[in-house]
Amino acid sequence: MVKRLGDMPEVEANHLRRIECPTYEDTPALAGKPLRERRIALISTAGLHKRGDRPFRPGDGSYRVIPAETPARDLVMSHISVNFDRTGFQQDHNVAFPIDRLRELVAEGVVGSMASVHYSFMGAFPPAAAEPHAQHLAGLLKQDGVDAALLVPV
Amino acid sequence: MGALGHFLERQGIATAGISLVREHTETIRPPRALWVTFELGRPLGIPDDPDFQRRVLRAAAELLERTDGPLIADYPENVAEAADFTGWACPINLAPTSVNTLAAEIDRLATWHDQAVARTGRTTIGVSGLDMPAAGALLSSALQGDLPPAQALKEAVDDLRAYYLEAASAFPDPGTPAMRKAWLWDETRFGKALLDLQPKLSASADPQHKILANLTLIPATERHRLAKT
Repeated sequence: MVKRLGDMPEVEANHLRRIECPTYEDTPALAGKPLRERRIALISTAGLHKRGDRPFRPGDGSYRVIPAETPARDLVMSHISVNFDRTGFQQDHNVAFPIDRLRELVAEGVVGSMASVHYSFMGAFPPAAAEPHAQHLAGLLKQDGVDAALLVPV
Repeated sequence: MGALGHFLERQGIATAGISLVREHTETIRPPRALWVTFELGRPLGIPDDPDFQRRVLRAAAELLERTDGPLIADYPENVAEAADFTGWACPINLAPTSVNTLAAEIDRLATWHDQAVARTGRTTIGVSGLDMPAAGALLSSALQGDLPPAQALKEAVDDLRAYYLEAASAFPDPGTPAMRKAWLWDETRFGKALLDLQPKLSASADPQHKILANLTLIPATERHRLAKT
């Protein structure tokens, strides 16, 4: 079990310590709303996309579009990093992209509804490279009636 | 990941994220984060355990109702450590002495990869657009000094890595994922090829080759092997 960086193998922890994290002076927090009234999109940073879409490249801050009805067999991962496990995703896509679980939460009435389109970035992006894409993405989400996103790393 | 929370929330989309590295999240301070102790690459915890995954996703989603961010909630469940692999042996002999070439090794794994695809109904191969013999040929020609563009080589290598690990998951005695990754580096011609390729990429004048050599070819946990080759 991984708890903190100090509990990880040293070489892995050192790799993670070298990753530069952006800082922000303040953090916005939009007003709460009951979950059962929310329309939610999944946004992954696992470098996922449909087979045949442009693979991610170093420094790529753009996103790929994953329609909700995309069959699991069409999903591939082109994250540039080799420092995380991929065998879980190979076995079950939901361990990194929990689209079936979100569908179930909607069916149970826990979540209001699910976006018709979901998205993936490739997490090794420089924040400045991703910001304009994220701003554009916010507009697309609103057009789909989405008012909340679940951000799933890898 | 946390940066996206800032960007989207400012644009009017509420966000809640899963955090795999608490120290990173503490620095970035996104609006809402659920910290989990799972292995990198497995943010929902356990493959093929829908109940577990649903509990994690629900816990993250429920954070959306909170406005007291930036907040980090600690997820209470952990994933048990995988068993130790002492005594595990690869059930089919793929040691470098058993096949003469990378191409032969790739060919020998095909039947196991077919088994894996039959069981899961999918493969994660398909980033490079190459079939596996062609991906192997690209790697072999790179080893002989004919370096292709870094992106093409990276995609071929990542597809091969997925091919090997998916195939190994269908072995009669597949062991754990950690064992199969150890097998890839300890036992296969493919693993040796990557280690042999690294210095060639490092010596290239192309900066993209150097990125591949230094960051995106060999996992940090396996780089200790480079000194031995």
